Formats: sequence, C-alpha cells, structure tokens
Amino acid sequence: MAKNRMATYQEFIQQNEDRDGIRFSWNVWPSSRLEATRMVVPLGCLFTPLKERTDLPPIQYDPVLCTRPTCRAILNPYCQVDYRAKIWSCNFCFQRNPFPPQYAAISEQHQPAEIIPQFSTIEYTITRATCSPPVFLIVLDTCMDEEDLQALKESLQMSLSLLPPNALIGLITYGKMVQVHELGCEGCSKSYVFRGTKDLTAKQVQEMLGIGRGGLPQQQARGPGTSQQQPLPSNRFLQPVHKCDMNLTDLLGELQRDPWPVAQGKRPLRSTGVALSIAVGLLECTFPNTGARIMLFAGGACTQGPGMVVGDELKYPIRSHHDIEKDNCKFMKKAMKHFEALANRAANNGHVIDIYSCALDQTGLHEMKFCPRYTGGHMMMADSFNTSLFKQTFQRVFAKDVKGEYKMAFGASLEVKTSRELKVSGAIGPCVSLGVKGPCVADTEMGLGGTSQWKMCGLYSNNTLGLFFEVVNQHNAPIPQGGRGYIQFITQYQHSSGQRRVRVTTVARNWADASNNIQHIAAGFDQEASAVMMARIAVYRAETDDGPDVLRWLDRMLIRLCQKFGDYHKDDPNSFRFSENFSLYPQFMFHLRRSQFLQVFNNSPDETSYYRHILNVEDLTQSLIMIQPILYAYSFSGTPEPVLLDTSSIQPDRILLMDTFFQIVIYHGETIAQWRKQGYHELPEYENFKQLLQAPVDDAQEILQTRFPMPRYIDTDAGGSQARFLLSRVNPSMTHNNMYAWGGPVTVAGDGAQDANAAVLTDDVSLQVFMEHLKKLAVSTSS
Amino acid sequence: IASGMGSLTLQGGSSMVVNLLQQKKLIPPSGVETPSPKLNADYKKVNCDPSVFRCTMTSIPQTSSLLNKARLPLGILIHPFKDLSVSSLPVIQSSVIVRCKSCRTYINPFVYFVDQRRWKCNLCYKVNDLPDEFSFDPVTKTYGEPQRRPEIKSATIEFIAPSEYMLRPPQPAIYLFCLDVSFNAIETGYLTMFCQTLQDVIEKIPSDARTQVGFIAYDRAVHFFNLAEGLSQPQMLTVSDVDDVFLPCPDNLLVNLGESKELVIDLLNQLPAMFEGNMETSSALGATLQVAFKLLSPTGGRITVIQTLLPTAGPGALQNREDSSKNVAKDIQGFGPATDFYKKLALECSAQQVAVDLFLLNGQYADIASLECISKFSGGSVQYYPSFHAVRNPSLADKFEVDLRRYLIRKIGFEAVMRIRCTKGLSMHTFHGNFFVRSTDLLSLPNINPDAGFGMQMSIEDSLTETSTVCFQAALLYTSSKGERRIRVHTMCLPVTNQLEEIFHGADQQAIIGLLAKMASDRTATTSLSDARDALINAAVDILSAYGSTLPGSQRIGTLPTCHSLRLIPMYILAMLKHVAFRLNPSVKLDDRVFALQECKTLPLASMIQSFYPDLYPVHNITDKELNKKVSSEVPSPPLIHLSSANIDRNGAYLMDTGSAMYLYIGSAISEQFCKDVLDKPNFMSIEDGLHELPEVETEMSERLRNFLSHLLESRPTGATFTLVREDGKHRLKFFEYMVEDRTESSMSYFEFLQHLQKQMKS
Ligand SMILES: [Zn+2]
Ligand SMILES: [Zn+2]
Repeated sequence: MAKNRMATYQEFIQQNEDRDGIRFSWNVWPSSRLEATRMVVPLGCLFTPLKERTDLPPIQYDPVLCTRPTCRAILNPYCQVDYRAKIWSCNFCFQRNPFPPQYAAISEQHQPAEIIPQFSTIEYTITRATCSPPVFLIVLDTCMDEEDLQALKESLQMSLSLLPPNALIGLITYGKMVQVHELGCEGCSKSYVFRGTKDLTAKQVQEMLGIGRGGLPQQQARGPGTSQQQPLPSNRFLQPVHKCDMNLTDLLGELQRDPWPVAQGKRPLRSTGVALSIAVGLLECTFPNTGARIMLFAGGACTQGPGMVVGDELKYPIRSHHDIEKDNCKFMKKAMKHFEALANRAANNGHVIDIYSCALDQTGLHEMKFCPRYTGGHMMMADSFNTSLFKQTFQRVFAKDVKGEYKMAFGASLEVKTSRELKVSGAIGPCVSLGVKGPCVADTEMGLGGTSQWKMCGLYSNNTLGLFFEVVNQHNAPIPQGGRGYIQFITQYQHSSGQRRVRVTTVARNWADASNNIQHIAAGFDQEASAVMMARIAVYRAETDDGPDVLRWLDRMLIRLCQKFGDYHKDDPNSFRFSENFSLYPQFMFHLRRSQFLQVFNNSPDETSYYRHILNVEDLTQSLIMIQPILYAYSFSGTPEPVLLDTSSIQPDRILLMDTFFQIVIYHGETIAQWRKQGYHELPEYENFKQLLQAPVDDAQEILQTRFPMPRYIDTDAGGSQARFLLSRVNPSMTHNNMYAWGGPVTVAGDGAQDANAAVLTDDVSLQVFMEHLKKLAVSTSS
Repeated sequence: IASGMGSLTLQGGSSMVVNLLQQKKLIPPSGVETPSPKLNADYKKVNCDPSVFRCTMTSIPQTSSLLNKARLPLGILIHPFKDLSVSSLPVIQSSVIVRCKSCRTYINPFVYFVDQRRWKCNLCYKVNDLPDEFSFDPVTKTYGEPQRRPEIKSATIEFIAPSEYMLRPPQPAIYLFCLDVSFNAIETGYLTMFCQTLQDVIEKIPSDARTQVGFIAYDRAVHFFNLAEGLSQPQMLTVSDVDDVFLPCPDNLLVNLGESKELVIDLLNQLPAMFEGNMETSSALGATLQVAFKLLSPTGGRITVIQTLLPTAGPGALQNREDSSKNVAKDIQGFGPATDFYKKLALECSAQQVAVDLFLLNGQYADIASLECISKFSGGSVQYYPSFHAVRNPSLADKFEVDLRRYLIRKIGFEAVMRIRCTKGLSMHTFHGNFFVRSTDLLSLPNINPDAGFGMQMSIEDSLTETSTVCFQAALLYTSSKGERRIRVHTMCLPVTNQLEEIFHGADQQAIIGLLAKMASDRTATTSLSDARDALINAAVDILSAYGSTLPGSQRIGTLPTCHSLRLIPMYILAMLKHVAFRLNPSVKLDDRVFALQECKTLPLASMIQSFYPDLYPVHNITDKELNKKVSSEVPSPPLIHLSSANIDRNGAYLMDTGSAMYLYIGSAISEQFCKDVLDKPNFMSIEDGLHELPEVETEMSERLRNFLSHLLESRPTGATFTLVREDGKHRLKFFEYMVEDRTESSMSYFEFLQHLQKQMKS
C-alpha cells in the first residue's frame, strides 16, 4: 500500500514537473502557520518559467483577468465556471467575473483552452505589442595572446550567422582603453575611445558618443527600402546584423591585440570595469527596456580603473579565499560595489550581462558575479578561448528549440499570486526583485523577498527559480476538508521573435492538518526538490554568512528533519528509520556539504562564484547532478549501470563515467587501463574491448553535446593525476578519512559551544560515519 | 649754413633737404630706394643682403647721446631663413667651424687677420688662432690665404654641422595636421581643398626616409587616425572626453610617410566625405592641441592647425569678446589673450621642439588674440583667411590654395635656435617675432620657416669710439628635413659715425617703419591702441623735430623740412594710422585687427611696408617701354604712384598690390579698347564688378598685364586675392580705403597730417 502510494506521488510529481515545470518541497501543505514552520524544509518550489514545451496551444489573445483590483489573477482551470451565466469565479479571491463578450460562445463542450485542466500552464502571445529585435553588444578584451584572440574572433565571426538577422549588434573592445566601434562604416573603420580608468554615467556616454544629438550623421545604407525609421535614437554603434555582418566580420578580422606595451613583470592594463560600464551606459541611453545582451569576453582580470580586482604588478597575485577570509583584499569590495551597481543598472533597464571568462588565472568573476546573477546572464569559465569548451558553449548560447526558435528570452518578469492562506516570502535564482508589495507578499523573507514580482532580463528554458512560501493560515482557522491552496505564476517575456508573451501556470495542492495528518504531509515530501532548494538557501546564506556557519545550519536542519520525520526509539540510533521518500535526503546533504558550493578552499573565489552561479540557475535534475554526481559503471559483466558514488565502485575491471555537471570524467580501472595501454582494443579479436572503451565515450559525447555550459571532459586512468577529479567526489567509504588530504584543509565544523549536536560532523568523513553520527544525534534525547 | 648746404650738395640726392609741404612726389617710379651703408668697397661687396639683414640706420651713432639726439629708433630686422638662390648661399661641410673662443662669433668677412695664423674677432676683439685646416684647400691640397675661404668671401653662409652641434640625433621631419571638421569647417569647403592640395604635393613636401605624418580631425571631439602600415583601411579613433583628453593608442598615429603613403592618400581621399553633413558646431581646439603636443613631444615637429571658428569646447574654450569690446566706447579691448592656456601650451611645445602653425579660416570672431599665442611662443606662423569659403569667396580660396601649397613644400628647419650677436658696446633688449627667448640672446625656434621675419631693438651701452664699424651676426642652427644639422650665419657690417647728419642721411626709413610697427604692435597689446597711435605720431614729430633742429631756423620757416632718407616717415606713419592694425575705427573686426598687429611682428620688411602702403600702378597704358630689364623682356614695369585719389583718373585702370590682395580698378571712362583687349568686354558697363580672375584675352595688352601680374605674384612667397573693382561697383570702397593720402570723414589727408605734425612740433 505504502509502496503504491509512493509510486503515485512520484508519478504526480513527475507529471507536474512535465506540465508546469514545477517541483514543490511539500506536495501536501500544512494548513497552519505554526505547523508549517515545523516542517524544517520550508514550503517552496523550484519553478522553471519557460520550461520547454512543444505541446502548448498557440493562444493569440490576451488573458482574462479577475476584475478585483487587488487580485487580477488570470482565468485558469481551477476557476469555477458558470457556462449559462457566462461567469467565472476566481479561485484566489472568489470574485465572480463575467466573461468578456468574445467568450459568448463558450459552453461545457466549447471550453476555452485556459480552463481545460491539461492547460494548467498556458501561453498567450500578445499580438498588439510591438516587436523589437534583440540587441547584442559584444564587449571584447584584447589583452590576450594572439592564439586566444584569434580563436575568439573566429567564434564571434561564426556567431554572426547564428544571430537573428534583424537583431542589432554592437562591438566594444577594451584593453588599456575602451573602444566603442561604429558599425557599417565603409572605407575607414571608426571607433570612440575612452580612458579605461574613468567611469562615465550613461548621460556622459551618450554625449561622448554623440547619440541623439548633432554629431556625425548616420551612415545611410544605399538602396531603397532600407530607410526604415527607428523609433529610438539613431545609433551608429548598434546596427542590424544583416546590414553589418560583413563589415563586422572584417572589423573583427583586423582587430589587433591591445597595442599598449606591457612591461616585464606586469599584467596588461585591462579596463573591464569601464568597458562594461560603457556597454551598460550605451544600452541604457539607447535601448532601455528592450531585450539586449551584453556579452563580455574577458581574458584576464581588470587591472585598472573602477572594477579593478588586482594591480598590474605580477608579484602580487589575485585574491584567494584565504585572503578574503583574512580580509586581505585591497580591491575586492570596491570592485564588487562597482559591478553590483552596473548589474543593478542593467537589470533596471532590462539588459542581460553574460560573462565569458577564459584565462588560466582568475579574472574577477567573484567580483563580477552580480552582473549575470541580477540580469539572468550566462557565466562561463574556461582556461582559454581556444578550447572546444568555450567554442561549443558559446554556440549553444544561440541554441534553438525544436520549433527552431531561440531558447533565449528577454525582459521577463514573474508574478506570483497565492490563495489567501499562503503568501510568497521570496525567490532565489537569477532574478532581481521588482519591489512590488501586495496582498500576496509575506512578512518573512527568504532570498529576495518583500515582493510578489521578480525580473529576469534574460531567461532560458532551463532557468529555474527557487520560490518560498509562508503559510499564514492560523491554527484556529481550519481549512475545510478537501480545501486546496493555489499559486499562480505569471511570466511575461519578450520572445526571441520579438513577440511579447505571457505564460501562466496555476497549481493547486491539498491542505492537511499536520497535528493529526502528519503522515499525509510527509508522504508529499519531495526529497530531490528539497535538497536542491536547501542547496540554494545554503549558497545564498554562504554568500552573506561565513561558510562554517552555513554547514552548521545545514547539519542542524538535517538533524531536525530526521527528528521530525524519522521513525526511532529515543536514544537508540539503530532503531532509526526513514521512509523511502526521505531516505536519499541525508545523502544529498552529505554530498552538498562536501561539494565545491560550500567547501570553497579547494577552489579559487572565481571558481566558487562560477559553480554557485550555475547552481543558482539550473533546473532540478541538473542541480541534483551538481550536488551528487552520477556515476555509471561499464564492464564486461553486463550493461552499463548506475553505481554508488562511493570508493567501492572503483574496481580494476570497470570503466567509470562520472558526471558532476561541470566535468565528465571517464575513469579506467587499473586492469582496463593496462589493457588499453597495451593496445588490445586495436586488435580485431578484442573488438568487445574496443566497444567497452567506446561505450562511456559515446555516452559522454551525448552529454557534452547538449549541456550548457559544456562540461570539462576528462579521460583518466587509475593512478593518473586527473583521477583526483573522481576521487574527490566519491564517498570515501573504504579509506581512512584523511586519504584525500591533498584536497585542502579539513574543516571541523563548530566548536560545540552552541551547537553541540552539529559539532561532531566533520567534512571528510565517509557517508557511513556521517549517517552514524546523524542517527545518534537525531535520536538523542538531549537535543 | 654754408657748410650744411655744402655737405648736402656734395652728397647728392640722398642728402637733399626735402620740404614735405611742397614735395608731393616722394616715391620714385621704380620704388623706394634701399640705403646702402658707407663702407669700403670690399666690405660693401660682401655685406649681407638688406632683404635678409637690415638696420634702422646704416650709420651707427658712436654714443648713446648721439643716438638720443637723432631721435631715431635703433634696431635690426632680420629675415634669417629667407629662400636664397644657390649662388647667394654657399653651403660648406667642414670638420672645423671657426669661431671666436671668447664670444663664439663665427668667422666672417669682417674679421681682421692679424697674420696668416691669427684673426681678431670683430665683435669682441679677441685675437684667435686660426686652425691649419682653415687655410687648407682640399681641392688643390695646398695651404693658402684664409681670405679665399667662403666664410670670408660671403656674409651669408651655411655650415653642415659636425656632431658636436647635436644634443641628440637630429629629429626626422614630422608633420601633424589638425583639421577642423566642425559643421562650420565643412561648410567652408576647405577640407576638400586641403586634402587635394596635400595629395598634389605629397611627393614634394620636405622629407626623407624617416619623415612621419599624422592627422587629427576635430570638432567637439578629437578624431585620430591609425594609419599603420599593413592596415587595409585607415582607422578613425575618436576621443570625446575633451576635458581629459589622451592618446587613444601608443603608436601609428604618426606614421612613416613612405611606408604608409597609400593609407595617407586613402585617408585624404575619404576625409571630406567622412565629415560631410557633420552637425557638430563646437570645437575642441585646446584638447586637440594638447594631444597633438603629446603626440609630437617625444620627437618634436610641426603641428599645422586649420581652424574655422571660435573654440568653445574643452580646455582653452573661448568666448566672444568682440561685441563687448564694441560697447566700450573709450578704447578697444581684446588685443591680449583671454586665457594663458595657449601660451602655456606653446611654451611646453617649445621645450619639446614642437611648433604650431595656424591657418585661421573663420568668418565669425574666433579670438585670434588668444589663439595666436600657440604659434607666437612656439615659433609657428599664423595665416588668416577671413570669411573663407571655397565657393562664395573664390579669390580668397585661390589664395588659400596657393599659400597652402607653398606652405606644404617650403623649406623648413626643425629644432632651431637663433643667436644674434653684435659688436661689444651694443646691446639688444627687445625681440619681436614668433619664438621663445631662452636666454638673453638665444631665441628658441622649434620650427623656422622661410617667411618669418624678426626684429630686435638695440641700445648703445658703451661708446663705440675704438672702432669704425660694428657688426651684427645672426646664427641659425637648425635640422633640415633631411636630418642634417645646419648653421646659417648672416653677418652685417655697418660704419660708426659721430656725425648727426650722417646718421640722418644714413637712416633707413623703411626699416624704421618696420621697427616702429613692431613697437606699436606691442604697445597696443600692453597699453592701448590710442597710446600706440600717439606713440607713432610722436615718433614722426620727434624725427622731424630732431632733423629740423640740425637746420638753421631760417630754413624751417614755412616749411616742414626733412632729409631725403626720412622723407617717407610721415606718409608711412599716416598709412599705419589708417591701417587695419592701428585704425581708430570700432567697425574694424577685432580678429582682423589682431591679425594685422600680429603681422607687424612677423612679416618680413618688404611685405610689411607693402601692407601699410600698397603699390599702385597705372596700367591702362602699360607699354613695352617700361619693360623690367631685371626680370625679362616680357614683363612690363609701370611706374609706382602715390596712394591718392588725385592720381586716379576716370579714363584709367590701376592695379593696387597690398601683398595679400590685388585690386584692378577700372575708371568709368576707360577706353573700349582696354575693355576689349584686357577684359574681353565691349565696354565699361559690361564689365563684371568683383571678378576674381583676369580673363585670358589674346591681345598684347592683356598678355602684358597678365605677365605683370604673374611677375608680381611670383616674386612673393604667398598668394594674393584678385578683385576687379569697377568705379561704380561695391568693391570701390575697399579700393579707396587704401588711398591713405586722402581725407576721410574720420581721418586726415596727408597734407592735413603734415600740418598736424607741424603743430605738434611747435607745442
Ligand atoms: Zn481574483
Ligand atoms: Zn669674439
């Protein structure tokens, strides 16, 4: 029976995810505020607003809104409809609304799509909205070696053919100076040059570029039919791709490395801060509230001017986590302030900032992270622009869906409406708050709270927000049996075609009284969604709090969850049992604790920012891979199978394929490696060995071809230096705790003074030890 | 009386007493004579050409008290880099340049050879040894007389300097062109002319394999051009932050002319179209100059600026001061710079061997008084084309083109210094021209051009009793466009006298006017215009009084006597008072006046005199009889006449030449023959007033006149506008404005002026 119900829940969860792009931590909601706070894992969801859907009907009319001014919810399948009276009642506020005249013909047989239950997610295309093509502004670092620059130039030239032909494109290059290039000039290339040390306001940028004022006339395109009037200030710097692609190709072709000499022992003077500021300013004054992407390609750290993260003296390295911990970074705070301000400006204007950082050393992603985070931009990190990692990833920016439409969307906003027992307390994800207060806004805040609307200047089909809710219903105001809570997500966005679209997702969940129906609530627990949401919260906290505090908090939450939902006798750890839909959760937490998201000292601050950024935007499945990598084993003894992320899985006659999201590692066991070295796979009689070797490669290829950003591909053998990528992630079940001491300092969480229960957990223990401790603490009467 | 009369008669024409009130014709038909100093024949033969070196008096007073009695200004005028024919400029390359050990004077024709091995310096009297090489003739391989050396045979000589004359390797010729491309500039049409002209002469600009060029276009922003060899097309780099201007890239803004010639030509072809329709109306000249300086400061070189309007953006921005000056009824203001920005920058330029030349093409006020400082202190030149327009003002456009062509290909000296030395006892105290005085007698001239004139005022510190002659030596050390370090030396020798009469008789009236003009120009800027005018009148009064006092009283009654050598002083001074520079008329545009004042400081003497008192020739009966034998049999030489309406006949045609402008005046009763022969029109009525070119008619008369015109044009370095003036046409006033001897509503006739002077002398 129980097993059966689990299957049902899994199906239910899967169905909801497929249809609505949503996963809740709890699928049955505790009906009172007090109970809700005792659930440990907050009530929330992971929501993918533009989840790729091929089966949505094309709706070419506007949504019908509830007429209550404080509600304005959109007609949905949960609304009660009186077909005779042509009236629908709002499931959020119970307002009875007449249908608009064009709905006169509806009947039970002729239902409009938006009230058909299967269309709990529906998309409207607002046909009267003006279609404006997206703008792409390239911001290109020229302080890199010839090879990298050449590769990058080629990637950019190639990308021109991937852009929508009517898209506008612009080019800013920078080194010691910042150059804004005029496009479409014949005979003489033209650019405006700015000092890399001086920040400029949008108004100054506008004035200095002579936009919307006197200045040189716009170069008129020859031939009739091209004199189309632009509603925005004419602008020589942003031109339609189809008009200037040849010119831009040539311009990129002639582009040289930054000409300023770099002395021995110095870094090149690189003005990333001003370059980005000018890019933001240029779009701010020319295309406010129009879909636009600033694509920053950085080959190194900003070394001068606002946004400077390191001096130009090579003898002083760029800050590390240790420097940050010791508060020993001269430039960091100022730089962060600069980039955060830019991120806010871009977000205000509805513009996206992508950062492609390709360098062996850090480039300051740590300081610049706000830019993609606030604007829904991409962050991408590689060693060089001359790698397939960059090249493939960059191509995927312009990926299209099965309908042949760009996956990228612009200028999105998400509005959340809740039924009255529920309020929204915040969001964690690639968005900024729109600061819209309203009846649906909770008093408590989680992530970006205090609003019921968020803005995502750039939005991809995989972008996922963590949204958190507060149950406000009081304990003494019971919800009638069978009552349901509703949440409506209204996503407005600019489709890559330029169309304005509104996607509406309305969900309903049952209420349950936790005081007597806790098992119902427990049964609706989604451990995967919960793990990812807790990871988001943990990272959000880590960005503000200290790392160890976050670990302690995670431990505390885990112990409390075990205490609340575990089955045990007091003070008998061996009696502890978790139901199936909780059973994987501690393991997720174990791996999350050990992950690069929270254990920062093995990585540079840039890497940490990068990993965290991706975790913050990806959907549940991908996030889960990041938290707990997937391990597959390939051997002669059968078909490939998933195996435990555990040292016990490493065997001499196996090939392992590990997917950590960021890396794809193929690890050949000792025997396999030897055979390969001896070249057996090249012998015709060992064709099956050849096939065995090939199988994980093919599977890896599949992942490599679709994932964004493209993962790093590592092919290694037992004993190889690259094997550490695998060894650092598997559970050290069969080894002594400090076997991987190379991985960085072992952090011992807490000193036991305040959190005696969390103090015993260390970071490099095996899962088994971790579980033992956990059980002990969960059943302890002292906690 | 007898002795006075005797000396007068003995010395012929030049010493005759002239009663100005009676003598009307003071200018000889062939032009005003240049006095020649009374020296022995040998010295006379080798002395420096007066067009290069000139003194206000050809006999130097022995004492300062004698100078005071003469009331004449003492000073020299020099045109040191004047284009000279090969024959008049010996160039020698010698391992040894013989100079006085004590005062560093270059050996010259006026030294005294104590014996074959020693020479006595004519400036400080130190006896120096003569190096052996000096007497060695490499051709004959013999030692001989030192007198056969070119240094001794010519007062003007040029040395190719050995390495000790170089502080650093000689700089390459570097030319940076800063072009105004504002709305106003494009509208004038100059840019097309500039680009075309530069392309035409690009092979001829003074250069060698190291020569570099660069271009900056500017309006409210500064546009640089990267012309790196190998680029497929020029790259324009615009810097708009003019308040904090900078060089947008570290190199290739100046490029080797030979290597990047194709790109340079490409750019010149494109430039006019690139800025076609530019709506930007402000000009960031100051910022442009700052970066131009930055660009050239590592090497030195020449910055050429073509500016068409008042700079109003960025550093060095200026305001219109003209209107406010007109409201000040009492005296005209605005002769001095409004800011020290341009002077400061010019001094920085000077320190880095950078000179700035200005071409001002403004129609509206551009505050030349402020702008000119950039050239004044950097050794640059200023040229002005008021109301330039390529189409609407074709005559001025032609002149601009001629001038520009000349400018681009004329000789140029880089990183130059000029030192003027004079015989012990004399002392120089005030310098006039465009330069920076680096030490008491050393002028810093980042560039020297062949059209620049200079003046120096002098005093007599110690009596010159021990010598019968004094010498002046100007030595100009410069780097040629071929990267050679050269020294051009001019030495002038003049006799010393203790006789007041000799001083008067030896006075050089044109040189005096030249020096007075410089002094008056300074006076205008430092005190006031009226003060300068008073000073000019006083100078005339003083000179006449001083001379008069040498005559017996009986000779002075009822007359205004002066000596022949000073007879033109009152007329020239009257002309100056009526000249744009000093005219007391508020309707004169401030920029016109300031430019005229600037020219007083820099024009070579002949041009200056011509601008004060233009040449006027009757040409209606220009005949073969007056052929100028000096030039060729084809060029007629009509007589010069005075600038008086009385000389203008209704039947006549007259050519006036002010140096920068020519007017052909046609009287209303001109013969139909002349109309037909010269103007290709049947009669006076069909002649087009304001015509800017003489038609080419195949008649003898036409040919003669055209030959004469082109002869006049060819004998000057610059171009000149040409305007045909009909007696009843609108250009008539312009023509008669130059009739300086006439009376006008606000000014005295020449005769009235003489009477005025007479009155002043009595009081
Ligand atoms: Zn409602
Ligand atoms: Zn001497």
